[in-house]
Amino acid sequence: MTDATLLVLASTLSTGLILGAIFALVAAGVTIVYGCVWLPNASNGQFFLLAALAAWSLAGAGWSSAAAIIGVLFMGIALSLVIEWVLVRRLYDVPERNVAYFVVTLGLTQIMSGIFAMSWGLWSDQFTLPPLVDGITMIGPFPMTNNRIVVLAIALGVLAVLFAALRYHPYGRALRAVFQNREAAALRGVNVRAIYRLSFLLGSSIIFLGGMLFALAYSFDLTVAWTMSVTAFAIMIVGGPGSVLGALVVGMVFGFTQAIVSIFASPTAATFSYLLAMLAMLLFRPSGLFNR
Amino acid sequence: MSLLQVDGISRHFGGVTALRNVDVRMREGETLGMIGPNGSGKTTFVNIVTGHLVPDGGRLLFKGTSIAGAAPHHLAALGLTRTYQAVRVFGGLSVRKNIEAALLLGLSGAPAAAEQDELVHWLRLDHRLSSPAGSLTLFEQRRLELLMRLLQRPSLIMLDEPVGGLAVTEVREMIALLQELKARCSIFVIEHTMRVIRELADRVVVLMAGEKIADGPPADILRDKRVVEQYLGTAHA
Amino acid sequence: MNGRHLAIALAVAALAAPFVLEGNRFLAFVFGIVMINLLWASGMNLLYGFVGLMPLMFAGIAGIAAYAMVALTREAGWSFWLATPVAAVGAAFVGVLLGLPSLRLKGFYFTLCSLVIQSVLTLAFTFFPRFTNGDTGLNQIEPPAWGGVQLAGVWFDATLSVVAVVGVLLAAWIVQTRLGQRFIAIREDDVLAEVMGIDVVRNRIIAFFIVSLYAAVGGCFYASYVGFISPRSFDVLTSLGIWLCVAFGGRGTIIGPIIGTVILAPIPYLLQELQAFKDVLSGVLIIVVTLVMPAGIHGEIMRRRSLRRAAAPPTVSAAEAVSSNGGAR
Repeated sequence: MTDATLLVLASTLSTGLILGAIFALVAAGVTIVYGCVWLPNASNGQFFLLAALAAWSLAGAGWSSAAAIIGVLFMGIALSLVIEWVLVRRLYDVPERNVAYFVVTLGLTQIMSGIFAMSWGLWSDQFTLPPLVDGITMIGPFPMTNNRIVVLAIALGVLAVLFAALRYHPYGRALRAVFQNREAAALRGVNVRAIYRLSFLLGSSIIFLGGMLFALAYSFDLTVAWTMSVTAFAIMIVGGPGSVLGALVVGMVFGFTQAIVSIFASPTAATFSYLLAMLAMLLFRPSGLFNR
Repeated sequence: MSLLQVDGISRHFGGVTALRNVDVRMREGETLGMIGPNGSGKTTFVNIVTGHLVPDGGRLLFKGTSIAGAAPHHLAALGLTRTYQAVRVFGGLSVRKNIEAALLLGLSGAPAAAEQDELVHWLRLDHRLSSPAGSLTLFEQRRLELLMRLLQRPSLIMLDEPVGGLAVTEVREMIALLQELKARCSIFVIEHTMRVIRELADRVVVLMAGEKIADGPPADILRDKRVVEQYLGTAHA
Repeated sequence: MNGRHLAIALAVAALAAPFVLEGNRFLAFVFGIVMINLLWASGMNLLYGFVGLMPLMFAGIAGIAAYAMVALTREAGWSFWLATPVAAVGAAFVGVLLGLPSLRLKGFYFTLCSLVIQSVLTLAFTFFPRFTNGDTGLNQIEPPAWGGVQLAGVWFDATLSVVAVVGVLLAAWIVQTRLGQRFIAIREDDVLAEVMGIDVVRNRIIAFFIVSLYAAVGGCFYASYVGFISPRSFDVLTSLGIWLCVAFGGRGTIIGPIIGTVILAPIPYLLQELQAFKDVLSGVLIIVVTLVMPAGIHGEIMRRRSLRRAAAPPTVSAAEAVSSNGGAR
């Protein structure tokens, strides 16, 4: 193998890892909310983009990237609380609420993309966040920016914490109980509405974080929202709605797919393949690969 | 020829066996009761016979022809219908519209207007025709459920707990209605209320953990030691 | 005024409007667009309002028909009046083929599936430019000719009025046939409908075919009326816009989509300079319709009217009402 092919291979590998981790993160956020609240958040890409844009604005105002990320996370939690209070909680007791939620979040998508076009869209067409840390580390013969290494570490770390929390923390166990059977959980004394609110907050915050990690690693434009929405939904459907493990595995696979396809064809080809994968899954195995 | 002939049907859900090798036969005009504790596979049995579930193995014959894998709408046209444990009517539509929906089946021998009126009157729904079906009492909804089935002239109606949730006086009325129903079609009935079985059934099948453990006249079955020990001892007979 | 009188009045108004608006080309054009949307909305209503499925691939099917019509007229030299029915039936078959597997699904899964199919179609329009010219779109599409003379101005508008009126009347007729009653039964409870002898999947396919025809015919007229189409003319936002006309006006009624379309369809053209604001507005309306008034404007009016009637029973005379109220207090 020549050095050039090795380099391409290495960069594909690192891109695949970073994209995979971010995809897995966002899809985990979407799938937790769907599995628990039964809310398929079609505007997850808009949430993702909003966080990235807000962090970009704060960084532009002189904040460091780290401060901007923490600031945006707090704002994101506040915004999720408002959305939960105004929109989400109205349908908690409706039996077939996933259709209604889907439509509501489609409306939210339109509102947010309209707002983005009228604001950030007028200010710039390419955005990026300044790196968290400078410098380059050689991993064997391959260079990788420290910034991307930190992004990868954060993404994998949050995924690990999330996984552990869902398994071992009392809140996580209550959340999974509601996942499995709302009535049974309520009978055992779980406050179902509080768990709904918590998982909406948790899921949305993870999506916000995913957006900012993406902005740290790559430059982006407003179309990333649509791509991310499609990707996250495809991961959720293929992995199995409500399955965090499925989101993790399929997210990684999609990340590498994206990295590889991008070498030969446009990234849209990758999105196209996600759409087809989701379609095939919906038609032939709607419960997904990983049953929860 | 049996009206309904079920030979050795089984059904598994994942690793759980819901039905194992169950045989049931029903003659024309017979009323067959099915009892068994919760989770013994009674509703699964009805779901399989009425085309809601596909059995893993076994034979299903209705009026001598195989009905394995037939869709529920197909069975309705053949004269095999059912009701639900949780009553099921078109709640958003008026009673009259519910009746019209039942008549959509378009049988050649659909009841004429006079006979429809007679059925409506028999089930005491004449004063409720323009009310939304969802606003009816549970007992009225159960009667509407029966009415909609009878308008389709079934040969066999499978009732899943027809008196579930009804008050004591209503149970008595329902049993009287079902007594009269026996003249109109064959009845298969799942019940927990032993009175219903005692007063209605010509024969009783007992299911236990997915297997048939007894089959015979109610008087014998309700004295059967095994049934009494395993089932009647735990339920209120 | 009963339903029949109202129908006649609305039909006359729709047919007369092009001649009234003749002086103002812009308003007349917006009116023509409203008529096309009216056709679309009454088609969407058949599936969403009467069968209970939300087809977000609606615009994609319209797009297939529109591109096919343009190809047939430009490359094969067919007349619009031949190309449109052929393209429409073809697109409806394609729509049913695409939708067929998803018709076993229901609720959210059907809606998501239709959204995915719509996205695939939009991408296909963009990346297979042989017939679509990609993102640039096709322009200078010829208007249909009638006896050697090209339809233009008021006569084209009037043609669209006729098409829309026929479309609405056809929908009104369908829903009171046995087919329409089966649709309603499926919407109310598909499991029970099946037990009552209704072949649910088959009836959904029939409904889907009819609805695809509405989408496709509308798409052909849209292409020749506006003279320009691109993938964006037939994307998911178009589907959502038509859905909103139905839901906002009142689904499952004939008058509802008419109300919704007349109010909402002109907005994008009146807010031409403010496209982004239009997105925000339609997003807000989607949320309001879903959360606050699921029965739409028409349903809301009927609810208020029945509340008022319940508050003041017209059969009881005023004196009796007062005395009985007084007695109750």
